[in-house]
Amino acid sequence: MLHTTDPAAGPAATDRLPEAPARHLTDPTTRAVVRLQNGVLTAARDFLRAHGFTEMLLPMIGPVTDPGVRGSKQVDIDYYGHRYKLMTSAILYKQASLLAFDKIFSIAPCVRLEPLETANTSRHLAEFHQIDVEVAGASREEITRLGEDLVRHIVREVTEHHAEDFESLGRDTGAFTELLGQSFGHRTHAEAVAELRDMGHDQSADAEIDWQGEAMLSAKSGRPFFVTDYPKGSRGFYDRESRDEPGTLRNFDIIAPEGYGELCSGSEREFEYARIVARMRETGENPAKYGWYLQMVREGIPDSAGFGIGLERFTRYLAGLDAVWQASAYPKVPGVIAP
Amino acid sequence: MRADAFPADAVRDRARRGTAALFPPVEAYGRNLFGAARTPAHTAPDADLLDTLRLVPPVFMPRRLEKLIDLAREPMHHDVDLTTVVGALHSPLPAYLSAFGSTQVASADLGTAASRQAGRLGLPMVIGENVVPVNGYGRLGAAPSGDSGRSLLGRIRAYLDELPDGTGGVAVQQSTEDADAEVWNLVYSDPSARPLLESGRLAFELKVGQGAKPGLGGMTVLDRAAATRVAEQYAVDDVLGDEERVLRCSSPGTFTEEILRQQIRLMRNNFPRARVWVKLHPGRDVREAAAVAWSAGADAVTVDGAEGGTGWAPLGFLDAVGLPLGECLRRIGRPAAALLVSGRMWEGTRAAKALALGATAVGLGRAALLAVEEDPEHGLVRLVEALALELRLLTSALGKYEASALAHEDVWAAGSGLPHSDPSLATPLGTQP
Repeated sequence: MLHTTDPAAGPAATDRLPEAPARHLTDPTTRAVVRLQNGVLTAARDFLRAHGFTEMLLPMIGPVTDPGVRGSKQVDIDYYGHRYKLMTSAILYKQASLLAFDKIFSIAPCVRLEPLETANTSRHLAEFHQIDVEVAGASREEITRLGEDLVRHIVREVTEHHAEDFESLGRDTGAFTELLGQSFGHRTHAEAVAELRDMGHDQSADAEIDWQGEAMLSAKSGRPFFVTDYPKGSRGFYDRESRDEPGTLRNFDIIAPEGYGELCSGSEREFEYARIVARMRETGENPAKYGWYLQMVREGIPDSAGFGIGLERFTRYLAGLDAVWQASAYPKVPGVIAP
Repeated sequence: MRADAFPADAVRDRARRGTAALFPPVEAYGRNLFGAARTPAHTAPDADLLDTLRLVPPVFMPRRLEKLIDLAREPMHHDVDLTTVVGALHSPLPAYLSAFGSTQVASADLGTAASRQAGRLGLPMVIGENVVPVNGYGRLGAAPSGDSGRSLLGRIRAYLDELPDGTGGVAVQQSTEDADAEVWNLVYSDPSARPLLESGRLAFELKVGQGAKPGLGGMTVLDRAAATRVAEQYAVDDVLGDEERVLRCSSPGTFTEEILRQQIRLMRNNFPRARVWVKLHPGRDVREAAAVAWSAGADAVTVDGAEGGTGWAPLGFLDAVGLPLGECLRRIGRPAAALLVSGRMWEGTRAAKALALGATAVGLGRAALLAVEEDPEHGLVRLVEALALELRLLTSALGKYEASALAHEDVWAAGSGLPHSDPSLATPLGTQP
């Protein structure tokens, strides 16, 4: 017999988990990580403001959120009798905000009930924070350049101002020499698939690079690199499909070196009404859910490009931590009951 | 429960007597003379193609010789191996439990009783598309129906509690409007479903359509209070001429080749550890739709013939809309991957004909509901045991010892002339479109 599992039992086998809140918070590692994370936030805000961005405070709840991929579940809340969602990502509001400002950013929490299998990836949290950036009229080339400059600026700032924290974490900042000195690498999704297959990894050509494959590519690299041109079907409806190469998305990820995997996802966005509705259907979405958004799109929104950097993942990479939950003061590992 | 368009009495008989119901009454043995009735004249233009076919054993049986050599004795029907892989799920015979959805007849305890017996048999089971919105998921909060046993988790628990090791599995349906309830995400991230995922026994079925109402979405009858509660999610029509009750319609969902292809890819990407099934209604382009689904990576395509269905549908659709299953099989021809079919399946000959025409397995819908109503503890088990014995007898009679070996050469349509000399090219149903 194959009995169902007690939902309270949590993941079957998980690497080391967070300790009780008081111990986790007062652990010297956590304290150094939080200080470092402050450095990241300060550097990100300084860079973006200096480049003409307006910081927006975007909603945490709404009738609809980013439909998401890779099997994560949204959290429903009862909003005066209506089913609302916690934001899994504020992408739709980022696009909306461009009606007011051409360059916006937001630093906000996101909640995704990730599948239980992600409890063991060392890189997933059910609650995390994202540095979100969106620029009206930008191309992928422009937005990837901005992303690269932003990452480099943050790394430069924190290595300069947080030497003691790096030291207490035992992280050699020499790991960032290539990042600071050379431009990031580039490869297309198809090239990444071919590379992985050459390495003996059975990567689907139609899907996201799986976590193991991503870690393999990441481990081979000494500096961050872009993966571009994911196939349609692997991402949400808002990643713009190439007009020249149907089936290919004008999107990108930034993958960290040393096996740390994805730091950032971004793309040019779909902004034309009919295309967005068709893409919603292709991703199995019911357009009726997206009433306010589609009405706004029908009336016209700017074309744009943007990205989101996972704050805890970025911090983990900088600090050289074993698991992403170590980069959170109050970590929520998928499926693990925590305050 | 009645099923006027279905051989309900014969199904109930098997649910009561099991394999004994395959034969004439034993008390008549030695007193009656038995032989075929005059071949029924299935010449009416609307005759069911599968019903009109006959299974035609050959005289010379090289495969029986192979089996004889293998066994070092004369093979018998007991030697037929019916074990099959149904859409990447293992099954003791080429059959599975079809989805019942949330229609009132299935929402009663019958759905759970069927789950329990399907689990005991080790048969794969499909859970209907709107069980979650209508009956709830079965965790936090009360089920909308007020009965947690009818919820999705209630059905899965009933099934898993009986399921033997190494066989079976659950396919959870989702259609356009259920996407709002995120049924797949809910199951995929739920600790309760982990045993299914970890043993490779969880599938997700994208419901494109259904046999009883091709081109339409689900329809149920609701009282006005319930209709008000769901009005935000479903269309509600006041067309029944009833002061108390109204018609609730699901949207059928919009599909193009590209939408279907991308939805399947997204399923594979989002749920890499789950199998991907696609259920098609018997549309005139069923061949093209199945090809798109297989090429996009679906583990199985389910085709529900126009004669299928447990739910409520407009009479005009039941009588005159959609291709019969036999015609779907003719159009699809040799399937590129697993092909699961449903439509008036309950006994061996029709199942064997469907298998011979390319199906991998057959789905039991109305038959299963009738059987569990007849006997909530053993009805479905007995019906399936009878089906299995009949399939063994038929397969053995055709000189074969695996259900998957059944092929076009094993069926004959009156008036189709001599079969092609190359059995692999035999097309008793004529040419494909």
